[in-house]
Order: sequence, then structure tokens, then C-alpha cells
Amino acid sequence: MLQYVIAGLVLGGIYAIASAGLVITYVSSGILNFAFGALAFFVARFYYYLHVQENWGIGYSAVLAILVAGPALGVLLYFVLFRFLRLSSPLVKVVATLGLLVALPALTTVIFGNEAISSAPGLAPEPVRVFDFLGVAVTLDQVIVYASVVATVIIGSAVLRYTDVGLKVRAMVDSPAMTALSGTSPDAVSIGVWAVSTFFAGLAGVLAAPIIGLDSGNFTLLIAAAFAAVIAAKFRSLPIAVVVGLAMGVVTSLIQRYLPPSSNWTTEIIDAVPFMFIAVFLLYNLVRRTLDGGADRVGGALDHAITPQGANQLAGSASSALDRGSLGMIARFGGPVALIVVAALLPIIVQGFWVGLIAQAFAYGIIFLSFTLVTGEGGMIWLCQITFAGVGALTASQLATNHGWPILAAILVGGLVALPMGLLIGYLTIRLGDLYVALVTLTFGLLMENLVFTAGVFSNLGLGVNVARPSFATSDHAFAYVCLAAFVIVALFIFNLRRSTTGLALNAVRWSPPGARTLGISVVQMKIIVAGLGALVAGIGGGFLVTAQTSAQPGDFDTFLGVVWLAALVTIGVRSNAAALVAGLTFTMLPALALAYLPAWTGQLPAILFGLGAIGVAKFPDGTLEQSGEMFRRRLLRLADRRSSGTATGSGTLTGVEASAATASGNARTTSVVEEVPS
Amino acid sequence: MSTDTDSSLTTSGTPIDAAPVLAATGVTVRFGGLMALSGVSIAVPAGTIVGLVGPNGAGKSTLFAVLSGLLRPAEGRVQLLGNDVTGTSPQVRARRGLARTFQQPELFMGLTVREHLVLAHRVRFERTRLWRDMIDPRSLLPPAPAENERVDQLLELLDLTHVARASVGALSLGTSRLVEVARALATRPDVVLLDEPLSGLDMRESENLASVFRRVVESDERRVSLLMVEHDVATVLSLSSHIFVLDFGELIASGTPTEIRNNAMVRSAYLGDDDSVSAPSSGERT
Repeated sequence: MLQYVIAGLVLGGIYAIASAGLVITYVSSGILNFAFGALAFFVARFYYYLHVQENWGIGYSAVLAILVAGPALGVLLYFVLFRFLRLSSPLVKVVATLGLLVALPALTTVIFGNEAISSAPGLAPEPVRVFDFLGVAVTLDQVIVYASVVATVIIGSAVLRYTDVGLKVRAMVDSPAMTALSGTSPDAVSIGVWAVSTFFAGLAGVLAAPIIGLDSGNFTLLIAAAFAAVIAAKFRSLPIAVVVGLAMGVVTSLIQRYLPPSSNWTTEIIDAVPFMFIAVFLLYNLVRRTLDGGADRVGGALDHAITPQGANQLAGSASSALDRGSLGMIARFGGPVALIVVAALLPIIVQGFWVGLIAQAFAYGIIFLSFTLVTGEGGMIWLCQITFAGVGALTASQLATNHGWPILAAILVGGLVALPMGLLIGYLTIRLGDLYVALVTLTFGLLMENLVFTAGVFSNLGLGVNVARPSFATSDHAFAYVCLAAFVIVALFIFNLRRSTTGLALNAVRWSPPGARTLGISVVQMKIIVAGLGALVAGIGGGFLVTAQTSAQPGDFDTFLGVVWLAALVTIGVRSNAAALVAGLTFTMLPALALAYLPAWTGQLPAILFGLGAIGVAKFPDGTLEQSGEMFRRRLLRLADRRSSGTATGSGTLTGVEASAATASGNARTTSVVEEVPS
Repeated sequence: MSTDTDSSLTTSGTPIDAAPVLAATGVTVRFGGLMALSGVSIAVPAGTIVGLVGPNGAGKSTLFAVLSGLLRPAEGRVQLLGNDVTGTSPQVRARRGLARTFQQPELFMGLTVREHLVLAHRVRFERTRLWRDMIDPRSLLPPAPAENERVDQLLELLDLTHVARASVGALSLGTSRLVEVARALATRPDVVLLDEPLSGLDMRESENLASVFRRVVESDERRVSLLMVEHDVATVLSLSSHIFVLDFGELIASGTPTEIRNNAMVRSAYLGDDDSVSAPSSGERT
């Protein structure tokens, strides 16, 4: 028993240190750093590089990696990213940190190499000294973890609660502007906070490396588990986060003791335990109704007064112009139609292996349209779209292969199976703030991945399930066109939805739920509609994807891979149907092109680019394609306005170009050019 | 003239005794140990502008939240067009003819000015479309003439035609308030709650908005009513046919502007004994 507790306290200690780092940044900036695991991985990998690959001593390596490189990375990230997020919407904060989560491990691999490292040294000299404690062996590495936790709790709590520095840190989240007016530099406080936070990330990373190896995926999962402690502490209480972190480690260890070691389920359950903790804490708070959007809010009235309306919001563009002229129609539809034509030519232009990839790209495009619906139209950050895609894919493969269903019917039913899951998650998360929605959907994805997708019937001993294509489209060429046709149908549906009353209502709900409610719009109805539709489209897209691949592998629907999907789409444009197709093509073709024609290290470039693109939402919320398209549209609309300028009459009219600009962008940065102009 | 600390509404000289379109009776709201509203009763007759004034913390915003359905009262009833709506949601009240604006305009940044009005019109009059139109390709066609006519009429009434195609994120505060009023009117409401509509506006914008309110009430053949919470007492006195005064969660007076001007209790509690009500007031206690 004692040996399980002692072992559990090590894992719990790492959770505790990580949760302390997460709480500190949340308290000061309102940012839950989803990239914490990536930061931990970077520092741990740097420590390994110094200590093992360059043969530096433990002391020098630890000081340079944990005390210098970690905090320096935090300061750097503050200047290039986090300072832009301070008053951003929770949606933008989540997406930007997810972008970092995608980019940083890939960047780490480019810098230090992609060597697989399953065993890494800790901070104790090797051979690691072992002590005897009440008959249980305790290693020096474990003692260092315990000591680190004690120091974290004592120093962290004392500084936050009893010092001027702590007061300034806590004041920051309430009002950076007031903090500045009272003579304290918000930047100085923030720099300190991010340096300390990444120090904790580095410490947790180096301490965890001997246990989980140097695999970025393991680090991400370890830190995702630490979110449970942070949620239990309501993101703010460092002592509670630390205590819950420790308790989680011990309970996980004890559960391991009582589960039969020979059972197939044991590994799955052990892996899922931390996410069960998250689910329990979220449900507890949900039942007690202590989760609300207010927890997402940062800054006081002054801060928001000096922030332009509509700035720092994801998906900020005006949805449509209802009554533009013919050039307006060309401006709006020209790009997407040209893109579809080019996409239709691609299977003819390329040959062999590449045609199959094009078919997959179109299927990815369908899945990405589910993000367009949920995040772009619904304004909700859902991290389980890949799970719905997986549900649709695995259901379709089972129905088609094991029950003889026609594949297209099986794909549709796969989507319909995902639909109620989307409705349920949508219903449960209706009254939650964006951050909680992200956490609930992430947890749902991780639980499904660990408890359902691992079932033998889906994994088939690691071989997956073969999926036959429809008889009329067995070739890559033919099936590519089937996927493209399905994409066009779903895209037209979303286009129609966007222009419809429901689309306008969705837009209203996204920007102002109280305004929408008092207009007679049901916020609940709108959010559930978009949640269900998003799950349905993702499920159908998943079915098309595995049919394009001719094999359904549960591993293709890893929850954190879904974060890369989201990053890819956000980079290009989360509110554009065309962007979904471009993201599908980019996501599929870029890695293959790098692999085929470029040096091996460039294989990491797509992840880095997608990650940086997602980080870019902090400054460019609409994505690159959407912004380029907007420039094109503005030029054409300017042309249209020149044509009709002779008919403009009356005082106080907007000039045509300015009205176009105002129509085209909800971002208040256009305020300076959109003024009433006397004629 | 009436003083009304026992929460029973009395009327004098105004159409307040006509069947009200909106009425609150004995509304009580408690926040923990704090009594935010204590047995407050008000009534808004058809086709009038009614003012609701009181110092900061008097309970005006709480009463507005109760009237619009954002807050449930511990006691009391709210009636809209004679129907009890106390337990109904904001959206149900909106569909039955209640609209409101907010102190900080709650606009939809992704929509243009015109789209705000189109949405409001459709939500009230084409509800079946909310589900049907997702698959109905008629969304791709131009809007119906009746919808265009109503929307154009409102844009003209509120002098918003020149910014109809602009995104609301690019508008000044004064214009944003006009858009909120237009959006509210697009639902063809029976009564509109205006929450501090003049707050943050300069004198010219305030006068412009006040004249808009007069035009709205005078031009609407359906006799729309406006219930206005406002700190600018001078404007409220000039616009309203009837005024309710709240203080510390209680209704301390109601009556015509003249009666309110001469009410000693109002002068004492709200304006200060020696101040003249005719002078512009900041709404602060003195």
C-alpha cells in the first residue's frame, strides 16, 4: 500500500507543480495555457540535450535549462504572443495557446532532432541513490519531486497571498489599466508571471522525463491531466490545485493496485483516470452551477472601454451583405467557385499516390466544415470534433464491413450516431464560458479515445478495419469526386444557413446572448442546433475519410490531432467554406510534399506553420485566406461603388468604399476610416 | 399627485388608468440580505412615454431585468398586454411584444445595421423559418417586399439609411443606440424598455435621440409605449407623460412631470431640498 502511495505522490507532485504554473498565469492573465505541456517538453528536451548529448553536468544543465531557458522562453512568448491576448476573448486565448501547443513540439524536434527517447535522466546523479523509507525504496529523483512540491506550495502561496508582488499579480486580472494607473507596470508583472510559469513548466518537464520519456504527446497528456487539479481549484487557488494534484497521483496509483494486471481494460482505465477526474470536477461544478462565463472574464470597465468593440474576437467578419449588386456577387462567389473548379481539376492533373491524397484532402475538407459550423458560426471552441469524426468513421466501417451495409448509407448513419452526442454535449455546455466548453469537449474526446476507441472491435489487433469504397467509385479518381461532391453539398448547406434567418440568429447569439434573448431568439436552441449539425458533419466527414483511406484506424482520431486540425483551419479561415477545402488540401499535401521532395526535417514544417497560424489569431482573427479574400472583395466592391457613386445623395452618407470596409469587417479598427462624411 | 411608499399605484391626470400594456405589481427582489426591490408596482399605458428615475442603487436596473425576464422576482407579478408573464423567459416576452435596449448597447458585431433589423423582423414574424430556412434555398433570394418596406421605413424613421450597410462595430455610440432602438422597433413591439438611452451621449446626440423617441410614439399607429430609465431628469421630465420615482428599492412617487417637480419627497430624496428640478440634473444625490 505504502509503495503505491509513495509512487503516486511522485506523479501527483508533477501534477501539483504543473497546476501551480497553470494557476499563476490564469490568476494574472485569465489564460489557461494549453501549451504548458509543450513548454515542459521543450525545457526537458533542452536539459537532455545539455546533460546527455553534450555531457554537461547535472547542475549546469539544470540551471541553464530550468532557471534560464525556461523563464527566457516565457518572456519571449510574452512579447510575441501572450501580451496580445490579455484582453482577448476566451476563444482567441484558447486557440492561440493551442497553436503554441501544435508549433512548439515540432519546433523542438527541428532544433534538437527527432530521436526517440524512451528513458531520460532526472535531476539525481546516476546511478540514482535509493533510500529506505519504512521498508519502501524511495529514489533520490522521487525525493527531489517531493522537495520541489513543498517549495512550490510554501513559496508560491506566500508570495501570492502575503507580498506586494502577489497583490499586483492578482490585481492584473481585475484591471491591467487600473494597475498601470496605480503606478505598476502591467508588462513588468506579466513578464515576471510568465517567467515563473515557464520555470514551473520546465521543472515539471525535467522531473517527469524519467517517468514518461521524452515524447511530446506524453507531456501533453500529462499536463492535460493536471487540468483536473486546476479545475478543482477553480483556476485560482494554488494550495487547492497542489493538494488535488497530489491526491490525483495517489488515487491513480491505488486504482492501479486494485485492477487485475492481466485485464485488457486495465491500461485503458489507468490512462483514462486523470480525465475521469476532470469529468467529475466539471460535472460537480456543473451541478452546483458554479461554472459560468464570468470566470473567463479579464479586465475591468476601464480596460474594456479602451479596447475597440469587436477587436480580439475570433470570427469577427460581417456575415453577409444581403443586397449587393452584380459585382458584389462576383466578389463574394468568384473565389469559392474558382477554388472548386481548381479542386475538380486536381485529380486529373496529378497521378498515382497523389490522387488518393487528394481524395483524403476533400474528406478532411468535410470534417473541417464542422469546425466552420461550430467555431466559425457558433462561436464555440469544441476540441472533440475529431472524436465525432472518429465516431462516424468507426461506425461506418463497422456497418459496411461487418454488417454488409452500402458504404454511403453507413457513412450517413455514422454521422447520425455522432449527432446525439453533439446535441448532448451542446446541451451540457450551453451555459458555460468558452474556456469550460473547451475543457469539457477536450475531456469528452480524451475519454472516448481511451475508453471507447480502444475497443478490440475497432482496433482489430492494431490492423484497423478495412473499408470498401462504393462499387461505382472504387478508384482514387472516382472517389475523389464523390468526396468533392459531398463537400460541395455540405458547403452549400452552410452557405445557405449563413444567409438564412438562423444564420443571422446564430451570429446574434455569438455576439450578444442577452441582446439575442431579448429579441426573442432562443440561445439554447441556436447553440444546440449548431452543436448537433457540427457533430453530424464531422461524423459524415470521418466516414468519407476512412473510405478514402480504405481503412479505419482508431489511432487516426487522437484528440490532440484534432487540435492540429483546428490549428490548420484557423490558420486559413474559420468562417470560410473555401478555407475548409484549402485547409484539407494543405493539411494532407504539405507533409507529403515535404516528405517526397524536401529534407526530412521539413516534415515538421506544416505543424509549425499551422501552430503559428493559430497563434496568429491573436492579431488576425479571420485567418489568412479570409483576409486575402476580403481584400479581393473590397477591391471589387470599390469598383462597384465607383460605378454607382453618381447616385449617392444626401448628407451624412458613408462613402462607398468606407461602407464596404465597414460591411466587410466587424473589427473596430476600421472605426477610424468609417465616419459619417458630409456630402 | 401621489406618494407611494405602500406600493399601491395611484394615478392622476394621465392615461395611466387606461389598461396598461405592461404592469408590474408588488415586485420584490432580494439579493441575499439586500432588498433590491420592495413591493414595487408600475404601469405603462399604450402610446405613451413613461419615465423611471431614481438615484444610483435605487433599483431601476433590477426592475428592468424583472420586466424583461432576465431576473425572476421573489414576489409580485409582471403582466404584458393583460397576460401574466412573470415566469416566462426573455425570448417569450419578446415574442409577445416586449422589446428592450441596454445601457451598453448589445449589438451583434458580425451583422450590418440593416441585418439587425431584418433579423428582428423575421424573428417576430417568420418564426417557422428558423428551422425550415436551413434547407430552404429561398434564403438565397432577395428578401420579401413587406420585409424590405418595414426595414426601410425604420431606417428612415431613425435616420439610419446612410449607414444601413455598415457593420455596427464601426458606429459611434449615438448611432449604436439608434440601431438598438430600431432593432427593438423592428419586432413591432407594444412596449420598449429603454435602459439609460442617453448615457454617454453629448447634448446634440441626446436631443436627436429624444426627438426620435417622440417621433416613434407619435408615428406608430399601433400606439407603442416607451418605458425609459434615465439619469437625465430634465429630459425625462420633458419627454414623459408619467414618471415613477424609485429610491432604495421602493416606489416613492409617481405622477405627471409637474407633480414630480413639485413633490417634496422626490426633492428631498433625489434632488435635494433646495434644488430646482427644472435645472439639468446629473442624477447624483446631493
